Amino acid sequence: MAQPIVQTIHRDPALFWWILLPITVVMVLTGILRHYAMILLQTAPKKQTLPQIRQQRSLVRGINLRTNARVLPPASFQARKAFMVSAYQEGKFLADPEARGKPRPNPMSDPAAMEGMMGMMKGNMAMMVPQTLIMGWINAFFSGFVIMKLPFPLTPQFKSMLQSGVGTRDLDVRWVSSLSWYFLTLFGLQPVYNFILGSNNSATQSTQQMAANPGAGMMGPEQDPDKLFLSEAENLEVLEYRWVLEGVEDRLVAKFA
Amino acid sequence: MSHANLLAPPSSIPPPTALSLSQKAPLILSSSPTSSLPWPLSLLFSRESPESWTIHENLLLSSLRTGDDKAARQILDRLTTRFGAANERVVALRGIYEEALATTPAELEKVFQGYEKILREDPTNLAVRKRRVAVLKSLGRPADAITALTVLLEHSPTDLEAWAELGELYAAQGLWSQAIFCLEEVLLVLPNAWSAHAQLATLYYLSTPSSLSTLSLSLRYFCRSIELNDSYLRGYYGLKLASQKLIPLLSDSTSVKRNNNPEEEEAGPPPKLATVKKLEELATSKLAEIVRQYGAGNKGWAGLDEAEVIAARALLDRDGKMER
Amino acid sequence: MNEERELAINPIVLTSMQHNTQVVSNIRSLTASLFGVAAGTLGMESYTGFVFYLIGTLIVSGLIFSFRAEGKASEYFHRPLGDLWGGDVVSGLSSFVLTWTLFYGLVRA
Repeated sequence: MAQPIVQTIHRDPALFWWILLPITVVMVLTGILRHYAMILLQTAPKKQTLPQIRQQRSLVRGINLRTNARVLPPASFQARKAFMVSAYQEGKFLADPEARGKPRPNPMSDPAAMEGMMGMMKGNMAMMVPQTLIMGWINAFFSGFVIMKLPFPLTPQFKSMLQSGVGTRDLDVRWVSSLSWYFLTLFGLQPVYNFILGSNNSATQSTQQMAANPGAGMMGPEQDPDKLFLSEAENLEVLEYRWVLEGVEDRLVAKFA
Repeated sequence: MSHANLLAPPSSIPPPTALSLSQKAPLILSSSPTSSLPWPLSLLFSRESPESWTIHENLLLSSLRTGDDKAARQILDRLTTRFGAANERVVALRGIYEEALATTPAELEKVFQGYEKILREDPTNLAVRKRRVAVLKSLGRPADAITALTVLLEHSPTDLEAWAELGELYAAQGLWSQAIFCLEEVLLVLPNAWSAHAQLATLYYLSTPSSLSTLSLSLRYFCRSIELNDSYLRGYYGLKLASQKLIPLLSDSTSVKRNNNPEEEEAGPPPKLATVKKLEELATSKLAEIVRQYGAGNKGWAGLDEAEVIAARALLDRDGKMER
Repeated sequence: MNEERELAINPIVLTSMQHNTQVVSNIRSLTASLFGVAAGTLGMESYTGFVFYLIGTLIVSGLIFSFRAEGKASEYFHRPLGDLWGGDVVSGLSSFVLTWTLFYGLVRA
């Protein structure tokens, strides 16, 4: 078969001013709005009681010991390890020693756990609501006609999505409606946000999800602190320890020799 | 630190720099970071950023250091109106301000009572707890300060500042092994801090100045601090001192080596004599280079503390090996 | 294990690493957008455009390597291959496609 027939459609240049530009501007502004909305929605970390602080930081201390054990001389390390392991196993650092061994309450009834979930919900809402609104807006105003031609070919599977509302069966998939411009901006505007808002903005999904995740981190309210302590004790027990200062004088001599 | 600006942490700023920083106070105080316009406009035109408050905080500290109490008061008022009087940091800063204004022990005692009251209401305010320790220290009650710090660390065992402070207090009391323990905790949180390595090495060096095992530990920690930062003056200084002490010990240590006691086993075998000698030479030549470069006013070396360089030169002169 | 010990002896400062990655990613996204403008204006289509982008990023990598890293990539990056030569090529692609499409549409309208 020879060259396929190139389909050409003449479009009004006003399409650019009245569709492409508004969608782009709206997308950029939404990203900025979302960034500031996230800052606004961030709840200040809940004030913990003294035993809770102690419980959490003692665990962090154990983790520090595990990850940075190499700085300690062998004797100090062994002493610390013995102390931490036995203290962990006895549950010395627990904020609530009575609750040890009892099953955790249902997270739904625990207000602290609820709060964590609310935080995640808020993050997802800030993501979902504007997206739905904008998609609805685009579908309501700009659907039913093609506005541009993509410079690269796509498989026909995309036809239903990118040409939604365009009732032409044989039209090349490269002709797309305004919705696909929306998708392109959705994925391609990250650098624009980076330049406007600084690098650690919360305007896009990827950072969004990372911001929501720490709630499910190691000290999430859903987890039993006693179990965390016991597993940390086990980790400490099996730790492979090497002193970083071993032979440091020879290394230094070799470095400057 | 001659190029210290107001964003740098204030703890290591020498007095002349603090003076020049505090002289910037009128300029900064003349322009308000929060806008005076009504609400929607104020959002658009405010020049407020996290940095501007860091600057305010540091300016407060340096103006207190240089005795500019009036500026300090103004800054404190500004911070209070922005963040509210109940903010943990503001409470601590106000404490610092009051401590600085207190001239007699009785007044300090009053500040101390104020801290006690705050802590009774909110025992989790760690910043105020630390201020309380500082007051105890300036009241000349190190034993109480140590107790207060141990209580603090019992509840917050990952607090760097507190561990370092406790280590200093113990060292001032001559309780070396406790001080070493505290510094080891600091290292566990910041495993790559060369200054903490050097501090730990100093403590080992000071603790039992004639024992082979502690001296070799000290030497190793100094080595590590140099390995982490190969232009660290204090590391070389300590390395030279430690190796000078080690060389005679190692030379006649054939007897020491044979009756190895278990304590020395734990710290690893002592370093080889040849290595220590090489390290001593290395430290000497590096110190000489640093002193020379600093004396020549070479850029890139100007950030050194003058007192430290003078001390290094004195050490070299004493040695009679100054290579110019 | 050996690499782990090497890392312990010569640790990597996280903030410096983040800064370097940030610099590379800023350069990448800016140049990717500019390549998109160029490709769209030149009216490139399908594979030509992508090849253009790949060649462009390769040149940019080379420039970063010789000017920003001063030819010593291993001093600035823990894994030079991934962080310098391949860093952020994919995330730059989306902004490339964005500007490419936009300018292609404008020029060919």
